[in-house]
Amino acid sequence: MNDDDVIICRCEEITKGEIRRAIQAGATTFKAIKKFTRAGMGLCQGRTCRRLILQILAQETGQTPGQLLPGSYRPPTRPVPLAALKGEKP
Amino acid sequence: MKAPDVVVVGGGVIGTAVTYYLAKQGADVLLLERSELGGETSSACDGFVILQSKSPGVHLALALASAELYRNLAAELDWDIEYKNCGGLIVIEREEEMPAMRTFMSKQQAIGLDVRLLSGEEVRRLEPALAPYIAGATYSPQDSQVNPLQVVLGFAQAAARLGARVCQGMPLQTLRRTGARVGAVVAGGEEIPAGAVVLCTGVFTPEILAPLGVDLPIRPRRGQLVVTEPAPPMVRHIFLCARYIAAKYHPELLAAAEDEALRLGVGLALEQTESGGFLIGSTREFVGWDKRTTPGGIREIVRHATRILPALAQLNAIRTFAGLRPYTPDGLPFLGPVPGWENLYLAAGHEGDGIALAPITGRLMAELILTGHTSFPLEDFAVERFSCGKEQGGRLKVTP
Repeated sequence: MNDDDVIICRCEEITKGEIRRAIQAGATTFKAIKKFTRAGMGLCQGRTCRRLILQILAQETGQTPGQLLPGSYRPPTRPVPLAALKGEKP
Repeated sequence: MKAPDVVVVGGGVIGTAVTYYLAKQGADVLLLERSELGGETSSACDGFVILQSKSPGVHLALALASAELYRNLAAELDWDIEYKNCGGLIVIEREEEMPAMRTFMSKQQAIGLDVRLLSGEEVRRLEPALAPYIAGATYSPQDSQVNPLQVVLGFAQAAARLGARVCQGMPLQTLRRTGARVGAVVAGGEEIPAGAVVLCTGVFTPEILAPLGVDLPIRPRRGQLVVTEPAPPMVRHIFLCARYIAAKYHPELLAAAEDEALRLGVGLALEQTESGGFLIGSTREFVGWDKRTTPGGIREIVRHATRILPALAQLNAIRTFAGLRPYTPDGLPFLGPVPGWENLYLAAGHEGDGIALAPITGRLMAELILTGHTSFPLEDFAVERFSCGKEQGGRLKVTP
């Protein structure tokens, strides 16, 4: 299997190849990759793929993952039914 | 660095649009973005290209011209901006709002917008997920949606293909004055001579202009939004509610509404995006530079949305976020030269209409800078319209 075909973001079904291409097109932060590809914007909000994307980004740009900004975490951080957010039992 | 014809400051939807249309006309353009493309307001908003929300007058006329440019934009940019001519509904919750909406609508029709009034029954036939109490809606087949991030990227990529230089991580440091001109732009430690400079810096524009002695009444206005998990198609149109529109013309109608929602300026803005998730907004709050979401704001948005579309309550919210909209006192952007300067221009202050108005803004600014004339009159958008004549109501009369 070609490395580029590996799915990195399972929620949005974004492959390693798509992430590499976004980096080559100038998306050199986690935030920018997210905007380019939608990786990390699905149901789990990057809980699975954030570290993998940072690793790919580090490799492609010759940095260590520690040098990279991890991107933002937005509330509610876990899926919460809208019924609960409006102050009612779901 | 080679001196460009035009330096565009700000890589949001307006800055990238201006860059693209300038490059398309053959200009050598340098775009300076202080962090990354679409990093602020343009990535914290909805993707409405909605005409029905525009006040009947020059605002709507400008939006109509912009919507026309959106039709072929994806092909022109060779980029999937997720444009969908889905049609839009302004949901009318209460009979009392009908007369105001009728008036608003007939004024819009006079300007050329295809918009009609639907009864509760008719609108539920169009959108069966709407709650039974909904009194009706206005409907326009001309309303559309796009993915704002892809619009920003599409403009930037297409501009780059035309030879524009797009520089990210390049904050503007100084505009260097030479007589009545900007002689050079200082950014990233470099002094870049420029033929003309356009500020497309949205909410940040006043702080750039203050040192030049220009006082610009743009204020950050926070809008909070909620994103849900992807769901099967539930609605086919984009939605606003009449409360905001009615409030503009008949504020007394809001007296019966809940205080908390009113205080936060909650008005429904809802779309099911290409990914299947719902984007639900929004508040309108003056809270300075605070970009956080608040439990109270999210609660009122969700209450309002689930009242209108009850089935939403079953979906999970996966993300909330807020963006700062560049508010202006009359709801119109500033498009034009900065008074007292020969080569400094402004395209900022679109509040919640930046996505909808980006293509026409880009095109008109390119015309203005390169030829000195525009195909759409810009008098009503003049930068100096608030700067004098305070005794006459703060409006500078430009046209006789």
